Amino acid sequence: MNSQTTKTLSLLVGAILIAALPFWAGDQYQLHLAALIAVYWILIAGLNLVVGFTGQLSIGHVGLLSIGSYTFAILAGKMGIDPTLSVFVSGLLGGLCGLALGLPSLRLPGFYFAMATMAFSMIVNEIVLAQVDLTGGGIGLPGPMFPKPFDSPIGFYYLVTAIALFVTWLTWNIARRMWGRAFISIRDNPVAAQAVGVPVFKAKLLAFVFSGITAGVSGALFASLQSYITPDTFVFELSMFFFVCIIIGGRGSIIGPFLGTVVLTALPELVSPLAKLGNFFYGLLLLVVVLVVPEGIGRMFEIISERLRPRTVHREPITPDLNRLAKALKVRE
Amino acid sequence: MLTVIVTGLAIGMLYASIALVYNVMFSTSKVLSVTTGHLSMVGGVFGAYIISVLHMHWLWGLLGAVLAGATFGWLTDVLAIRRVLARSDEHLWLLSTLALATMVQQGVGLWWGTEPKPFPRLITQEFGAGLMDQKFWLPIGMAIVMTIGLEFFYRKTMYGKVFIAMSEDAFAARARGVSTDKIRLLSYVLSGALGGLAGFAAGQLTFAFFALGHTLTLLGFIALAVGGLGSNIGALIGGAALGLLNSFASYYFGGEYQQTIAVGLLMVVLLIKPEGLLGAKNVRPV
Amino acid sequence: MLRLTKLAVRLSLATALVVSATSTIAADTIKIGWLSSLTGALSSAAIAENQGVQLAVDEINKSGGILGRQIELLTRDTAGDPTKAVNFAQQLAFSDKVHFVIGPVNSGEGLAAVPILARAGVPNLVIGAIDELIDPEKYPRAFRVINTNRQWISTANDYAIKVLKKSKVAVIADTSGYGTASAKTAIELLEKAGVKPVYTVLVDNNKTDLTDEMNKARAAGADVVMPWTAATGMLGRLLNARGEIGWNVPVVGHPAIMAAQIRQLLNKPEYWQNAYAAGYVSTTFGSNGKLPERTQQLVDKIRPKLGGGEIDILFWWVAMGYDTVKIIEHAIKTAGSTDAAALQKVLENTRDYKGVYATYTWTTTERNGFPDSNMAVNQANTFKDGSFKLAPR
Repeated sequence: MNSQTTKTLSLLVGAILIAALPFWAGDQYQLHLAALIAVYWILIAGLNLVVGFTGQLSIGHVGLLSIGSYTFAILAGKMGIDPTLSVFVSGLLGGLCGLALGLPSLRLPGFYFAMATMAFSMIVNEIVLAQVDLTGGGIGLPGPMFPKPFDSPIGFYYLVTAIALFVTWLTWNIARRMWGRAFISIRDNPVAAQAVGVPVFKAKLLAFVFSGITAGVSGALFASLQSYITPDTFVFELSMFFFVCIIIGGRGSIIGPFLGTVVLTALPELVSPLAKLGNFFYGLLLLVVVLVVPEGIGRMFEIISERLRPRTVHREPITPDLNRLAKALKVRE
Repeated sequence: MLTVIVTGLAIGMLYASIALVYNVMFSTSKVLSVTTGHLSMVGGVFGAYIISVLHMHWLWGLLGAVLAGATFGWLTDVLAIRRVLARSDEHLWLLSTLALATMVQQGVGLWWGTEPKPFPRLITQEFGAGLMDQKFWLPIGMAIVMTIGLEFFYRKTMYGKVFIAMSEDAFAARARGVSTDKIRLLSYVLSGALGGLAGFAAGQLTFAFFALGHTLTLLGFIALAVGGLGSNIGALIGGAALGLLNSFASYYFGGEYQQTIAVGLLMVVLLIKPEGLLGAKNVRPV
Repeated sequence: MLRLTKLAVRLSLATALVVSATSTIAADTIKIGWLSSLTGALSSAAIAENQGVQLAVDEINKSGGILGRQIELLTRDTAGDPTKAVNFAQQLAFSDKVHFVIGPVNSGEGLAAVPILARAGVPNLVIGAIDELIDPEKYPRAFRVINTNRQWISTANDYAIKVLKKSKVAVIADTSGYGTASAKTAIELLEKAGVKPVYTVLVDNNKTDLTDEMNKARAAGADVVMPWTAATGMLGRLLNARGEIGWNVPVVGHPAIMAAQIRQLLNKPEYWQNAYAAGYVSTTFGSNGKLPERTQQLVDKIRPKLGGGEIDILFWWVAMGYDTVKIIEHAIKTAGSTDAAALQKVLENTRDYKGVYATYTWTTTERNGFPDSNMAVNQANTFKDGSFKLAPR
């Protein structure tokens, strides 16, 4: 069984497991966790294109998540607009803010860009706290539920999973076609990419706006899942969390960050004493991965599997036919 | 009105000191470390710990803060920079310094607590001193002393000249026999010591608070970007501008939009003059 | 031969009894979930409350448990993060299937977690003060143990307006969930009493200097400053600013003004004078210099657990934590079971249940159990052993 069929088979098994999750999950809490992973993954899938593929180190995406969440809570909650429409608007607004942030910042070198995104998330937090009439300030807002059949936990789970699968399919398509190649070339060597004719700024902006849209959608679903949002939820450490998921999963792949998200979300729940050391642990994990396996844990598995089952290299000894060679040389003279 | 100016200058000089630290780090490694703000935080927290908790004389506190900063700087180089610079991947150092910064912040938070704790008085002085209060002129004085000290270091000492050599062209320096790894380590230790010193001096203004790190990294960076990467005088100007802007904005519009205004300044400067006020013009990549 | 068989029978019976007894205990415990922010913001309150909770649980378990069943306390550290609070609330309700949940402590966490527990139908003892946490329709099984924020604010307002006879109020609150809600309520209650505040401001509670705000309050002509924040750091800085600008205005507000930590934050001990805070009858020294009897009993019981020396935390936190477990005991004993609907009925019909922290009353329409009569105003710098002296009238 070659690697192609193993891949398709494991994907199929994974898909069946995900679809049947509400039935084997055990209780509502684990279902809630699964839905949370799906919601985070919607954002991280988009962010993956920016960080993992294009190499733009955005550490402020929690700001876009916050914008998406509050937009949804205000539109669907306060103003009573249809939740499905509100999700769309949240996504659009996320994309617009991504555009507004990206236009001035994406031209800046790496550190400057990272600082600009960090500053952006701080500004969003300040505005949310200051505009008390709109966002409830420190009290926050309730996150409205979706209409039937999505208002039950199982229904909501299927909704977010469907959206997550759709977003994954989108990113996978972008990644393996022309734009994906362009992104990777920008990450690895922007000068060479420009020399070959890749529209560097346009590509970066495209990835960033896309990640803004997914962050907006993710924010809306997050608000509904958590049923109540406050500014305390949208802290810088959450941005770090998204970031670490991608880096440890491995830049340049899609399944890697997905596994990273699953592991990092589930871990603090399984190991409750870890909760106190949570952010310290994320930092440590990031440091270890960056120093030891910068390509991500996915790569580490590859290394281990190579060690265990090395690909046999077929050696075909070449014995030159000396007579023929001599004749050919004589002909040349 | 005078209070607003003096407060602004004082906090601005803290940002300027951090920009100076960035400069020292950048000169030898071409790396802008996310841990820069945390160096000051560590200096402030350790100073407060030694003086308030261990009840020792403030000179020990100063020494402790400097040592803590220097150790942290050394750690930054050893853990986050050394192995990473060797690889060709350009942005890995951003990740590793970010990781180290997070670890240190959380570690200090777990040990010191999450509430801002008061920083002790260094020199006995009446609290009603108003504008002449030491919490204002300590950071201002420290920033000026640091700038003069650095200028002296760069112009008159051998190591300073080696730093300049490395910042101009690291390969040529290595070809001339300079051990670039050791010099980089030295620059990180020095920058750590300076950061710790700055945090200690400004402690009465900022309080010993574990979460200062990221804010200081960002605001120190804005001071650096406004003043120009590589220029120490630019760092002072950038810091002063940022501090005064923050102070005036807080006074007239309330403290709610502080970060927004600070970043607004950054964006304006970066759009008009990307290399900062006194920065060196960027060489074209090709 | 017979003797041996007899011995064998006796031994096996004994083993069977022991086994069944232990397995009964293990399988049939009363599970209480405790959502506490032991790290992060407001951790000092949570840690103190935890002491009370643990003492009560140990005490009850030692005397045989409730209805013969031992209490199993499941503590979850939410670290001040509402997302964690939601996750743990879900875990406690659906995975661990607890019978009762105490907490969360923080308002932000409470706002997120209380609806979840209500949806799951788990009885919840609320220990956050902001008003939105209680709603007999939306959250029928949530009962508040702590006083409401309105009670704090109206007690402080009464003292400022009626006793100190001030009319120009400056309201200073922080930007947290609690601060923004309190500022709104404070202004509303002041206006109802016919006083319009001359200056209001919301300040980030990590802002290092409040001299600007105090100057502006003075310039607006304020004759009393009322701070609404639970952050001791900010309150310390406010009192320092008041002292440094030499403005001897009374400060009346949140109980945290009296917290012991403020002592170390003040530049001069005199800065703590002329400061008053809303407090409780249960933690106020009477005119004979003694605490109410039940409070003193608990103080003596818990003193060894807190280090044996003088108590340096706000004692009402400990008392409140202790009371929550005792209320649960009362509810289960009176209902005779751990059925959630039965517990709800019992609590709805509780009148004047005497706890240490307060005497509670709940009805079918009133889920706030703390009576107005148990509120008091204390003088800030009279902290001693966890309690305070009454403010001069």
